[in-house]
Amino acid sequence: MNRKSYKGYVYLAPVLAIMLVFTAYPLVRAIFMSFCEDYSIINGSYKGINLENYADLFKDKDFRKAITNTITYVIFVVPLSVVISLLIANLLNSHIRFQGLFQTLYFLPYVTSVIAIGVVWRWILHSQYGLLNSILNFFGFESIGWLTDRNYSMASLIIFAVWKSLAFDIMIFLAALQGISPDLYSAARVDATPRWRVFFRITVPAMRPIIAYAFVMGIINSFKVYNEVFSLFNGSAGPSGYNSAITIVFYIYDKFYNNYKYGIAAAGSVVLFLLIMFFTAIQRLPGRIRARKEAAQK
Amino acid sequence: MKMKKIMALTMATVMGASLLTACGGSGGTTSTTASTTAAAETTAAATTAAGDAAAETTAAAAESTAEPVTITFWHAMSNAQEVSLTELTDKFNAENGKGITVELVNQGGYSDLQTKLMASAAADTLPDMAQAYNNYFTDYVDKIVPLDDFVKNDFDNWEDIVEGYRIENSEYGFITGVPFNKSTYPFFYNKTMFDRAGITEPPTTWEDLEKDGAILLEKEGVPMLGYDSMCDMLEIFLRQNGADYVDETGALFNTPEGLEAIEFILNLYSKGYARLIGEDAYFSNLMSSEMIGGYVGSCAGVTYIVTDNEGHEFELGVAPIAQGKKNAAYNAGTNLVMFTKDEAKQKAAWEYMKFLTSAESQVKWSIDTGYVPVRTSAYESQEYQDFMAGDTPGAITARAAYGQAPYGYVPSNYFPGANEIRNVVSDTLTVCISEGRTAQETLDELVTAINDVVQ
Repeated sequence: MNRKSYKGYVYLAPVLAIMLVFTAYPLVRAIFMSFCEDYSIINGSYKGINLENYADLFKDKDFRKAITNTITYVIFVVPLSVVISLLIANLLNSHIRFQGLFQTLYFLPYVTSVIAIGVVWRWILHSQYGLLNSILNFFGFESIGWLTDRNYSMASLIIFAVWKSLAFDIMIFLAALQGISPDLYSAARVDATPRWRVFFRITVPAMRPIIAYAFVMGIINSFKVYNEVFSLFNGSAGPSGYNSAITIVFYIYDKFYNNYKYGIAAAGSVVLFLLIMFFTAIQRLPGRIRARKEAAQK
Repeated sequence: MKMKKIMALTMATVMGASLLTACGGSGGTTSTTASTTAAAETTAAATTAAGDAAAETTAAAAESTAEPVTITFWHAMSNAQEVSLTELTDKFNAENGKGITVELVNQGGYSDLQTKLMASAAADTLPDMAQAYNNYFTDYVDKIVPLDDFVKNDFDNWEDIVEGYRIENSEYGFITGVPFNKSTYPFFYNKTMFDRAGITEPPTTWEDLEKDGAILLEKEGVPMLGYDSMCDMLEIFLRQNGADYVDETGALFNTPEGLEAIEFILNLYSKGYARLIGEDAYFSNLMSSEMIGGYVGSCAGVTYIVTDNEGHEFELGVAPIAQGKKNAAYNAGTNLVMFTKDEAKQKAAWEYMKFLTSAESQVKWSIDTGYVPVRTSAYESQEYQDFMAGDTPGAITARAAYGQAPYGYVPSNYFPGANEIRNVVSDTLTVCISEGRTAQETLDELVTAINDVVQ
């Protein structure tokens, strides 16, 4: 370590201090709590240090459901949102009329309170008076109990979440699209390249870093989904009585704040931490493999 | 090189985790956005009033050596309730003559208040005083200031407080609080619809519930009953059938009486005389749009029933709930508890508690909000009697509440797990009703769920 790097650390010190206090310490503390049997957040007492919390956690069928639900959520919401946003952003970037208006409209969900959006979607998805069911009925399909039938809870949640996360993805994609050199498109036009080919051969490769970013952020945020469930099901994790749309964070919140099971909640958050770490590692793999290949070619 | 990658990876996940810790807060705050403005207004009003009060006291009560003291009070009152509480508090701030200023802080709904109190108990930043149910502080009862000495030395007639509330506030073995906003669950019904169907009197017995439920379903095509709280409903029916509910040892209703009560409940739902709330949030909404004949819910909810909706004008009826072999009616509502360790603030908070529970304040509070007075003398006051004799929705509700007051019981929920039991009972019962389980299966599932919590 030379003198120069010392200087760098001095510059970083304020942020590092903040992160140590507000991120690293709570993290270590939560990991510690997760091993304390019958931990009390009020006075810090516990019965003993063991794996009791983890045993309870994995015995709880609600937690197992929370894990499968969360993974289902991530698998559907992130790719769907990225793909749809990419298409919409591409359309918005072409020279259509009222471009500004549409850009504003698509951005609205991002600046609206998720609770307010939840109220609107509860009406859209209402089994008897909902807009969605009226449309289904119009085309001759039967009504679906989007919010009352536990088999549809996850589907409703995913539809709602995809719609909600479009706004942010569209915004960053639009910004990235505008950064692509017009020369590339001009060249493609000279060659009379078909539009789909322009999209897949110029637009997508040029946007690879930003798409990767959208995926990483999308996955991290989706693993922590809570607000969407809360607002869509009016404070519970699915149709009343059923926890059919319970997610890991919902489970942790419920255990901590409603059931006063602090240790189990901490254990749940450690499991979530490991899950996010695992998936983040996996998704870095393709990039790393490519980097290695390119290095080998050179 | 490898080290760096691991670092980067850990950083990314740590960032994820830190966002997670932020989540806890946002879950609570989002739902309170509606009341933030109201709270801001309240604090503004309180501070101006405080200014006036301070000016007055320094001028008028020069002999009082008491230092000016400000106490914070966390509450969960909204709409008409918050307006009335603010008026009372402004009056107290202006007139207490001891330099006391109470600062009202609206914490959203009850569940927001409960989680925020829990979090601040852990962080040791509890407010000076708050509204609370006994089951909020099962885990931090040692942070509650015992009020025994205050009550003994400086309270206007503790015996005047309705007995059930006195018992409730002594469940922990010492006096944990004083009752403030107390309600009971009467039966709200659409009188116009009942008349049309030929039901002249609201149901008074279990047999009536079945008979009238059948008539209303046949003539009007809607269910007659809904229950805002599933766990409270279970407790009501159990007690009316002579069964007990729960205590710190677990479920107490694994008896023939318990089974019979559950069978009766399931029957109401399977026949269509009662319905679950499902995706519709509040029964008062269903009442307002005439999609249900009636429901059992808090008497303080009367302000939320709209009887003059376009196309849905009807006369509101309110009656004591139907009774079984035994009489029982559910009493709810929170108490005022004290957390401050500062002696001057304790004295100030006690002055405010005495003020809010005084007969005069209770009369105003009950008339404004639909809550029931916590003092017998407030009940019997001329002003409250005159109010009850009127024909406003509030007066009708007050009469019904008064009518079932003798059967009122205050549920006991001071033991660890009491809060969780409420949730698991509501969930389990809802599932058993929607899945059409038998009475025995339902009983077994409820007992298992409750005992799992207690153990």
